[in-house]
Amino acid sequence: MNKAWLHFVLIACVGCLGFARAQDAKSARQIIAEAAVLSDDSDSQVKLVQSLTGLGDPETEPLLLSWKEGGIYLVPGADGKKVAVTLAGDPDAAKKETAIRLDIKEPLKDAAGASVRVSPTSAELAETDSSIRRAMKAVTDLSKLAAPNAKDRLMAISQLGMERDVSKLPILEGRLKVETDGQVKRAVQEAIALTQLRSPDAAVRLLGCKALEEIHPLSAKDALVGIIRDSEKAGDKPLLEAAKKALSAVESHRTVVNFFGTIFRGFSLGSVLLVVAIGLAITFGLMGVINMAHGELIAVGAYTTYVVQCIFAEGLVLSPFGMQMSLPGMNTTGWVYEMYFVIALPMAFIMAALVGLALERGVIRFLYRRPLESLLATWGVSLVLQQIFRLVFGSNNVQVNSPSWLSDNWTINDVIFGWNRVFVIGFAVLIVIGTWALLSKTPLGLLIRAVMQNRNMAACLGVRTERVNMLTFGFGSGLAGLAGAFLSQIGNVGPSLGQSYIVDAFMTVVVGGVGSLIGTVASALGIGVIDQSLQQILGNPVLGKILVLGAIILFLQWRPAGLFATKTRSLES
Amino acid sequence: MTHSLLVRPIAKKEWTFTAIIAFFFIVVMPLLNSFGFISDFTINLWGKYLCYAMLAISVDLLWGYTGLLSLGQALFFSLGGYMMGMYLMRMIGDMGQYHKDMPDFLVFLGWEQLPTFWKPFSSFPFAMVMVLVVPGLVAYVFGWLAFRSRVRGVYFSILTQALTYGASLMFFRNDMLMGGNNGFTDFRFILGFDIRSPETKRGLFIVTAMILTVTFVGLRCLTRSRFGLVQQAVRDSENRVLFSGYSSPNFKLFIFVLSSLIGSVGGALYVPQVGIINPSEMTTDNSLEAVVWTAVGGRGTLIGPIVGAVSVNALKSWATRAYPDLWLIILGGMFIIVVLFMPKGIVGIPGMVRDWLAKRKRQKEPMEDAAIKKTEEEAA
Amino acid sequence: MKFTRKLFTSTLALAALSTLLPAQAQDTVKVGVLHSLSGTMAISETSLRDVLLFTFDEINAKGGVLGKKIEPVVVDGASNWPLFAEKAKQLLEQDKVAVTFGCWTSVSRKSVLPVFESNKGLLFYPVQYEGEEMSPNIIYTAEAVGQQATPAVDYLLEKGYKKFYLLGSDYVYPQTTNLVLLEYLLSKGVPLENIGGGFKKDESGKIISAGKYTPFGHTDYQQIVSEIKQYAAGGDTCVVSTLNGDTNVPFFKEYAAAGLTAETCPVVSFSISEDEFRGLPAKQLVGQLGCWTYFQSIKSPANEKFIADFQAWLAKSDVPGIVKEGRVTCSPMVLSYVGVYLWKAAVEKAGTFEVEKVIAELEKGISFDGPGGTVTSQKNHHVTKNVFIGETKADGQFKILKTYDNVFGEPFLKGTFKSK
Repeated sequence: MNKAWLHFVLIACVGCLGFARAQDAKSARQIIAEAAVLSDDSDSQVKLVQSLTGLGDPETEPLLLSWKEGGIYLVPGADGKKVAVTLAGDPDAAKKETAIRLDIKEPLKDAAGASVRVSPTSAELAETDSSIRRAMKAVTDLSKLAAPNAKDRLMAISQLGMERDVSKLPILEGRLKVETDGQVKRAVQEAIALTQLRSPDAAVRLLGCKALEEIHPLSAKDALVGIIRDSEKAGDKPLLEAAKKALSAVESHRTVVNFFGTIFRGFSLGSVLLVVAIGLAITFGLMGVINMAHGELIAVGAYTTYVVQCIFAEGLVLSPFGMQMSLPGMNTTGWVYEMYFVIALPMAFIMAALVGLALERGVIRFLYRRPLESLLATWGVSLVLQQIFRLVFGSNNVQVNSPSWLSDNWTINDVIFGWNRVFVIGFAVLIVIGTWALLSKTPLGLLIRAVMQNRNMAACLGVRTERVNMLTFGFGSGLAGLAGAFLSQIGNVGPSLGQSYIVDAFMTVVVGGVGSLIGTVASALGIGVIDQSLQQILGNPVLGKILVLGAIILFLQWRPAGLFATKTRSLES
Repeated sequence: MTHSLLVRPIAKKEWTFTAIIAFFFIVVMPLLNSFGFISDFTINLWGKYLCYAMLAISVDLLWGYTGLLSLGQALFFSLGGYMMGMYLMRMIGDMGQYHKDMPDFLVFLGWEQLPTFWKPFSSFPFAMVMVLVVPGLVAYVFGWLAFRSRVRGVYFSILTQALTYGASLMFFRNDMLMGGNNGFTDFRFILGFDIRSPETKRGLFIVTAMILTVTFVGLRCLTRSRFGLVQQAVRDSENRVLFSGYSSPNFKLFIFVLSSLIGSVGGALYVPQVGIINPSEMTTDNSLEAVVWTAVGGRGTLIGPIVGAVSVNALKSWATRAYPDLWLIILGGMFIIVVLFMPKGIVGIPGMVRDWLAKRKRQKEPMEDAAIKKTEEEAA
Repeated sequence: MKFTRKLFTSTLALAALSTLLPAQAQDTVKVGVLHSLSGTMAISETSLRDVLLFTFDEINAKGGVLGKKIEPVVVDGASNWPLFAEKAKQLLEQDKVAVTFGCWTSVSRKSVLPVFESNKGLLFYPVQYEGEEMSPNIIYTAEAVGQQATPAVDYLLEKGYKKFYLLGSDYVYPQTTNLVLLEYLLSKGVPLENIGGGFKKDESGKIISAGKYTPFGHTDYQQIVSEIKQYAAGGDTCVVSTLNGDTNVPFFKEYAAAGLTAETCPVVSFSISEDEFRGLPAKQLVGQLGCWTYFQSIKSPANEKFIADFQAWLAKSDVPGIVKEGRVTCSPMVLSYVGVYLWKAAVEKAGTFEVEKVIAELEKGISFDGPGGTVTSQKNHHVTKNVFIGETKADGQFKILKTYDNVFGEPFLKGTFKSK
């Protein structure tokens, strides 16, 4: 009951705005048709789109959306001039469809009077560019001021706030009276205050400053700096004071946001390090094998993700070593396609584990007693693998698209929580719990620990140490594969992917204490938070990284065995 | 007394052999070059190989003789190169792009005057002292910290890897005032000679060959001395050395600093010959590549690294031209094969053949199994 | 199996070729191709080798240069800068090439520059660079800062953007570009506080570095993106990015995840061309801007013919390891192509392959109608050409938004703009 009334008021408000312009009485349809054709003159297109504001035409939004998403085509009409059309009707054998004129909703006729049929693949698309889309966004956002969905209303309000048009203050104030959603209400207040700063009336500007001091939005900084400059010139003391206070409120809010943001970013970086290093914590920490090819096992995981993605889409043609190899695609779209990543995770684990097993059988098993030489041989393996990636997938990076459920964010009180980052934290927790459970709660884990602590003794007790070695290494490599699958979501997938993480991974394991899972967790999170804090404080990503490396080197002089040293009675550890 | 009993003296045959090889590089090759039988290009290329040989020797001194696998040798090599580079940059004078008596990148970064630490590098002797002091100091401080807290084995490797990585990040920064990513290039004069002329290149080649010879002979004596014996004992069982009353950290520190100096001198000779030094030389991969040269040539010998550095690099020069796609596979494969099947490298091939022949001879002897086991243990 | 056979046949072919060569030597002219075919830079440089080989075949099919067929000598710089110098020496001293086309990174060019100067060689350099250099032995067909960065900023100013966030990889090209842009923006009346990314000043307070820099291979852009988001909160903000190829992926993925889009805060990148685009997440880049002197989407008969011919050549090419699927053309490729034709025209005008005379002709001004429009060589060894502003589309192509005709190539821009 109450809500219906509310909608009515708002629509009336928006309608009023457009009323003044309604005389020239062109429908949204006609304007958009006119705009779409002017593909060489984006400035006029923008002007036309802007003129849609406040027209109140219900067709505006669907038409703009269809233009933006490529539903409008440009086809030569009877006089040879281009006409904006949509396509409709069943496609015939040549995949052609009937062209419907956008402005009058009737089929387009050619010179002979027959209706024109074109194929969507060959017809010229009415394109948009970012300035047009900005204009479109402004138009559609505004029309959503009374939308039932809080998120839409929020967009509309922030759009109005951005414009800072004093004449729109009444609409905003009207909205404020009826808004119930807390977040939206805050946004309305923010928009009002920001707009008030533009008011010719000094008292209103003062009001705006006071309001901004209370709600201290980050977006107010530029406006406030402007006010301070102007009021200093004009000698308006009270306004200057108020603006300064508001600015300092904004700045202290920024400090708080940065503080929590840094902690979150630190945890997310720490989780990335943890995911990357945990496989190494097994192969290096438990087994004592220096696997320099660990980075390439990560890359195997990332490439597997890429291949799975391609199979979900159009398939993939590879030409390794002059051979042709084509993988068929399933041509899925929508949510099925988005789920490719869920399939990719276990596949990445399996592929990397298989490569790891081959590596263990082929090279490493000969070198268990010679760790330094395992370092050299696996470095050789890493070179070979890198070049194989180049030969199979090309030296270019490959495209891995993030599913939409990983590429958005929650913004809580101006702190950004990217979904991919939240995901990696959860992912890291799961992996750590899984690994811990496997090692300490299963019979296999018992055997693994036995063999790693004393290979000869375990062998004497009848454990097939060879097999345990093999499985452990495979497991560690599989974890590297999982890391790769995840890294494909936040970074490059290319032949040298592994190289960018290998030093960090070794550092994490060594600092944590070799052979200690909890140590790896602690050191990964510690390094992550320290790195991000230094970046924030110094404002320089390189310097931060150098300092972290220096700190690690010094730390290891102090505690050579790392944070959580494994106690041992043996002299040569 | 016991020393002379235990250690086989260096045979006369060996001295003669060394002298012949050295004579060939120091005298014959430059002569052939000046008469046009060897092109300037080849001389320059071989000059580069010999610098790599210095780097390989420094790796071998640590790895082959003391059991320390340092992934930081490329850092010392480049530090030496940078020190020499600073001198060469000063010698460009006002012939740069901006025609100011200052390196171009400094003019570009807006410096009106030469930063203080750049000033003394106009002097050649100072630069040469710095070639020894800077890497030596870095190695001393790092080594002192590391060996004192008994960082050993793979941990040492990983720490040196971090050191190199950190240093390269630092040198990549433009604020370091060392040329950033581009480093130093466009050199013109060294000691007043035109660095681009064939005569200077020949001279640099001769100097490199001479310094390599001196290093080789010096290390030959050192490794055969009592000191060298302790050094090898540290490699084989550090704890026993420690319990016998030797201070193994000090031995290791000395060797580490010495090898950093050898690497650094190699780098200082390398830069004028290739004409560029930048931070991409300062990577773990370059250190590891030097380890391959050593391994391929034969670790634990002094001739091995030289043979390895020259042969692998000659192969590289050829392969990057003939089969650019396959070079990394060849290099990586070489690593695996040498580690798994040829622990003694090229120098060890005659020995391997001899063993194999001997084994065939004794094929039916009952001792065979034990003998193989013994050699296996030695290899481990 | 197939692989070994290929190796064997190519060795045979090589042997056969080497026996044939002396007989043909009179009718050919050797031309060097110096690019990284392995290592980190192979990503970008392999395409340039391909387009150069294509151009040589195209010229040879029409009778070559001065009646001589071009005989390419391809060497691999392996992304290793001293090796670049070695290979350049090899080309000049052993193969005695008439001209060399090559290099991508500034450091590789700097490393071969002394070699070309001391051997009196001739190098054509095709990739956008920072300027501040004018070697008598190099022809820079590349975009200078004034042919990329300043037109892009002009466009953004025209579109009403008021705040500019400068972001780049920490090496010479971004550092120089950003310093020039700083001067340029100030000269256009943009106040200093509207230029973001931070400044570094020397003791006297003079700005010696502007913008935010990340190292090569940087993977974590969380902090920087959140800084940009705060900076852009007030609206009318854009990012001017000189990040190099690889780091663009983590940057744009983070950018999209933080909810920043081309509509809220567009990014104009100077290092992403169609070729780099192949490895980037297209969806997250739609609407971002680029600025080059050529786009594949240029609609002109010359360009359409160029693309079709190149694709046809690729389809039947037997160069080992060449990628045939999904190939695109981009500015550095076209500038390599144009370079070969400029050289050809200069040689024909001079009537000789002698480097000095060819350079003299180029300095007098030689024009060529290329796929991106007419290019003309200038006295200062740079090239006048058209500049295009484009916007990325989901298919990896650019929609051209604006064209600036015949922009002069000026290498020494720093210090030429007076601030208001």
